[in-house]
Amino acid sequence: MADETAGMAGPPKAHGLHRFRPRLEMRQTTSGLRTAAMIAAGLAVGLGLSALILVASGVRPGDLVNEFIVQIFASPKNISAVLVQAAPMIIVGLSASIAFKARFWNIGIEGQMIFGAIGATLVATFDIGPEGLRLPLMALAAALGGIAWIALPAVLKLRLGVNEIISTLLLNYVALNFLLHLLYGPWQDPVSAFPHSEQFEETERLAALGWQSLNASLIVALALTVLVTVALTASRVGYLLNFVHTNATMARAVGVPVVLLTLAAALGSGALSGLAGFTISAGIEYRMTQSFFIGYGFSGILIAFLARNNPIGATIVALFVAVLMVAGQSLQVFYQIPFAMVQLIQAIIVICVAASDFFIRHRVQWLTG
Amino acid sequence: MTDFLINWIANIPGFAVPFALAALGLIITEKSGVLNLGAEGFMLMGAMAGAGAVIVMGGYPLLALVIAAAAAATLALVFATLTIGLRVNQVISGLLMVFLAQGLTSLIATQQGWTNKAFTGLGKLPLGPLKDIPVVGPILFNQDLIVYLTVPIFFIAAYVLTRTHVGLRLRAVGENPEAADAAGVNITLYRLAAVIIGAALVGLAGGYLTVVVAKIWVDGMAGGRGWIAIALVIFARWHPWRALAGALLFGCVEALIPRVAAAGIGVPQYFMLMLPYAVTLGVMVWTSLARSGASSEPSALGQPYVREERH
Repeated sequence: MADETAGMAGPPKAHGLHRFRPRLEMRQTTSGLRTAAMIAAGLAVGLGLSALILVASGVRPGDLVNEFIVQIFASPKNISAVLVQAAPMIIVGLSASIAFKARFWNIGIEGQMIFGAIGATLVATFDIGPEGLRLPLMALAAALGGIAWIALPAVLKLRLGVNEIISTLLLNYVALNFLLHLLYGPWQDPVSAFPHSEQFEETERLAALGWQSLNASLIVALALTVLVTVALTASRVGYLLNFVHTNATMARAVGVPVVLLTLAAALGSGALSGLAGFTISAGIEYRMTQSFFIGYGFSGILIAFLARNNPIGATIVALFVAVLMVAGQSLQVFYQIPFAMVQLIQAIIVICVAASDFFIRHRVQWLTG
Repeated sequence: MTDFLINWIANIPGFAVPFALAALGLIITEKSGVLNLGAEGFMLMGAMAGAGAVIVMGGYPLLALVIAAAAAATLALVFATLTIGLRVNQVISGLLMVFLAQGLTSLIATQQGWTNKAFTGLGKLPLGPLKDIPVVGPILFNQDLIVYLTVPIFFIAAYVLTRTHVGLRLRAVGENPEAADAAGVNITLYRLAAVIIGAALVGLAGGYLTVVVAKIWVDGMAGGRGWIAIALVIFARWHPWRALAGALLFGCVEALIPRVAAAGIGVPQYFMLMLPYAVTLGVMVWTSLARSGASSEPSALGQPYVREERH
């Protein structure tokens, strides 16, 4: 920016020094059309950059369209793979949305997923409860596991003001080491002696829906979307949370129970993350593995950011992320491109969309002379 | 027992250096009012670049450390564009840096074949006869060059921050950008410089992890140390010397972990590995309970500055 030329010592010199400098103005209102156009431009730049990186990594440009669009939407097998992948993605997107709505930065989604899966696996491995109730009990245990793992950071933030970004993140590492302790120790699969839990029985798995590999985890995810949408948009709690999100000081001043609402949102977020762990264990892998959660915390945060904490928006964005994941898996198989590429592409796209927000909120004028 | 203690204490500086350098870098950045939550990402970038540089050049570990700092500083240009140029939410921008660096480092290292490839890094630099002094020798005078350099680096940084005009202006930019701007301080320039210098130090800390400590690159090998450094800054209340003390505390914990296992004490290993994170959380709780002392948290930390919005 040109105003770097301004003197570092003393008051600013005459404006003649600023030959050409930007002047920012906050927009009071932005038309929906402009917002949409800017986001689309951000997306386009992000996708363009990603395509360039893929081509530089050895993917033929023609194959790009083939891998990402034709292959995914032409085969029922791939469509179902996307939908299966989307289920936990939707749930972590909802989890992040609900926490961010209360301005609680839950970066510990992966740790809560781990404790969710531990809860579900505990019920499955030790055959707790009657067989008919096994799955609901596993889901309940998963939600409680997630809640347990977010409760400490939530209380520490609300009582002592301990920064939740760092506390939730640190607990991810604690949870991971606890998971490894279980999988290399007491919960190691006695059948294969591999470091994962023993396989869930038929009654402990989310039922197949009879089309391709699709199973009930998608129904769980969609039901949670409806639940969260109603809670956030059509309930008193949602109304008050909006108030807290917009102006917590004002909300507190007029008697809104800000602490209680934030706690509820944080615990709700933990419960959802726990359930995401449950859908992976009981719906995809049929056991608890040592890496089932990797990348979901990251994606959940980005989904909520892109969807602006809107649950329906989060569901749609999660579907796109699932497409990216499935395409990434095939890139891995056919081009030996590491899965880190998927993470990189997600980050690049979100950076570009975040940057486009600047042009939605500001008007830039270039002053000359 | 004395052997155990000397051996333990002699290993503390090496474990403390990455925390110390990263925390110092973050303090410099945050003094200018920019919240940098991307430390883990800059550290990964430095670690990967340092390892890659040693492997490609077939040696020159000191040059590799410079490259590590430069790589992190380059990534910081993206961060600066987002936070200073485009006024994107600084929490989101920092997290994006972590995600970007996780993907980027893993991708580059895998494609270049640098992952899990051991190399000869920077060795110890015993200070002549001094290292033979009993007890003190192995603890203070048988370390690597970066350990020796860390204390002078802290001296310089603390001096510049508190005793020079540049430091005064930097702090003014973080405390009250409106007033600093009115006084003719170039906010953009100071913040940009603080972000880049800070990231370079975090990158150097990352490079130290691969080039000096591990002598190998493994995906995600910063292992949360960037986050611990962020917690350290809060614990240190943005004072460089307190950050160095905190880094030594974490050095103690980290240096203890392999020794407890080797001494045959029956704590399950994964519980030992939780220790640094649990201690960090404990320190954060303690910091907020004892929030009586003077904190020099910059008032404008995390807030983008738009001159036209000045009140």
